Amino acid sequence: MLNLWNLIILNPMLNGLVALSSLFPRVVGFGLAIIILTIVVRLMLTPLTLRQLNSTKALQSMQPKIQELQKKYAKNKQKLQQEMVKVYKEAGVNPLGCIWPMLIQFPIWIALYQSIMRALATAPENLLDLSRHLYSWQIVNQAIPLNSRFLWLDLGRPDNTLILAILVGGTMWVQQKMTTAPSADPKQQSQSRMMLLMMPLMFGVFVLMFPSGLALFWLVSNVIGIVTQYFIGGGWGHLRSSTARQSMPKQRGKRAW
Amino acid sequence: MAINSSARNQELDFPSSSGEWSFAITMPSKGICGSSAVPVSIYGMPAVANGMLCIGTYNGKVLMINPLARSQNLPFPQVRSGEWTYPRTEDVIKPIVGSPVIANDAVYVCSSDGRVYALDVNYGDERWKSDPLDGKLWTTPVVDGDTIYVSTFDGHIYALSTKDGSLLPWTFEAKAGFVSSPVLYKDSIFVGSFDRNLYAVKIGDNKPLWKFPAGNWFWAAPVVSNGVVYAGCLDGKLYTINAETGDELWEFDAGSPVVSSPVLAGDLLVVACDSGDVYIINAKTGISERIKNPDDPQSTNRPSIDASIRGSLCVQDGIVYVRAQDNCLYALDIDQGKIDWEFSLAIE
Repeated sequence: MLNLWNLIILNPMLNGLVALSSLFPRVVGFGLAIIILTIVVRLMLTPLTLRQLNSTKALQSMQPKIQELQKKYAKNKQKLQQEMVKVYKEAGVNPLGCIWPMLIQFPIWIALYQSIMRALATAPENLLDLSRHLYSWQIVNQAIPLNSRFLWLDLGRPDNTLILAILVGGTMWVQQKMTTAPSADPKQQSQSRMMLLMMPLMFGVFVLMFPSGLALFWLVSNVIGIVTQYFIGGGWGHLRSSTARQSMPKQRGKRAW
Repeated sequence: MAINSSARNQELDFPSSSGEWSFAITMPSKGICGSSAVPVSIYGMPAVANGMLCIGTYNGKVLMINPLARSQNLPFPQVRSGEWTYPRTEDVIKPIVGSPVIANDAVYVCSSDGRVYALDVNYGDERWKSDPLDGKLWTTPVVDGDTIYVSTFDGHIYALSTKDGSLLPWTFEAKAGFVSSPVLYKDSIFVGSFDRNLYAVKIGDNKPLWKFPAGNWFWAAPVVSNGVVYAGCLDGKLYTINAETGDELWEFDAGSPVVSSPVLAGDLLVVACDSGDVYIINAKTGISERIKNPDDPQSTNRPSIDASIRGSLCVQDGIVYVRAQDNCLYALDIDQGKIDWEFSLAIE
């Protein structure tokens, strides 16, 4: 199983990353390779991302109807379930439609993470291990070992300057804010508010713990997510509506969306 | 650790009175539960000279150790006994992966900061440090008279003066980086490259004397003797090559990456590989014998040692000492072709 994973996913990605880095000057090669590979992978996953976005959008648009049903059948869970399935079916929406594309993307993120970590080979045993995964291509072998420096970062070590942590946390917050629809239910509202803060904070802490090469991947990935959401989702989405809401204090208490 | 072969053969308690000792090299580490001392990694071989032992550690220290002081368990360093650390303070240089070399009353060592350091062998004072030669130097330098040769990850072989560490006029540059430590034989340097070639470079020349291609990197430094290069490769083969022409004499398929440098004991070559198999090979004919696992001598599949072998081999008086990844030391009798004893290096 592990061999199959290496053969089909990890090795092509790892060798692609190393080959890409050899196309640029050694001083910035690996950093640029991570950025480009992240963009390429995100582009390849665009159909899945679009499907995920559409599913999320459709589910959000159905929320008032669902909430109505929840109120109506609050005491009859079985009936509620049946009615919800019916509504989803009528609208042609699969409630798991936004989860599957995300799940399919996970192995690719894991492979990208493994590729970055293996390519950097910070310790002798890592470099030795790298030799098992590289193709015999000249372009790949001549690029080894990679220069781990990029801008102010050592891509093999965590960035202690907080800059990357703030950037990753900030972009993640923006991306989430754009897609998270405010809920009329106060309980749900507080839950989503908590999630909105927890994830960026968590990833901000991860940046301080994990090699900055991985954090660079998260940052680029977030930025691409924001751009995709902006152009496909139609502007700043819920980020703008919440800003507008905050700038209208008189309407507080009313439904501003 | 200092281990006496005879005491281990007799299975005496460690440390025996036969000069055995152990010395824990640690570094301070701050964790959530407070600070503690954690063991330090050592990748290189110790250098031995005048009864003293010199090692470079992965946390960036060079230590000169007096075996007598260590056997008495005295606090380290015993300055009067010639012990020292470099740097003397809590400071460290970048990780040291290669082995230190003792020559000209100095210790020469490469560091991951890309510099070569020359330290006084008696007091550990810094004589000089070179300008950074590369991002990091993980190799062992070669000292020949007044010249030090260093191979780098970015594909250079530099010649430095032992007097002040300045670069000498000759530098060799290859397209790919060098992975192994250089070996000097007569007036040529032999070194493995990331482009899967073994290079022979005549000192003073700008082009390689020859390049020998293989299926993977030559990770371990080759052994050169009597005009023949013995080079273990990560493609699982041992190649024997004519040192002058680069022609292959014969090759031996070990079936698993050869990470450690082979060792020569007379006409016999001992090769260990990552699978744990150890072979004794006739250096002239290439005829080999696989060492059987002492716990299962009848088995043809079970490796000689039940662990990977990546550390350097050491030979003395017909015994080859192998440190495997299971943290055990194995003593292999070459003549009898069997493992005499094994000893766990883990200390409670």
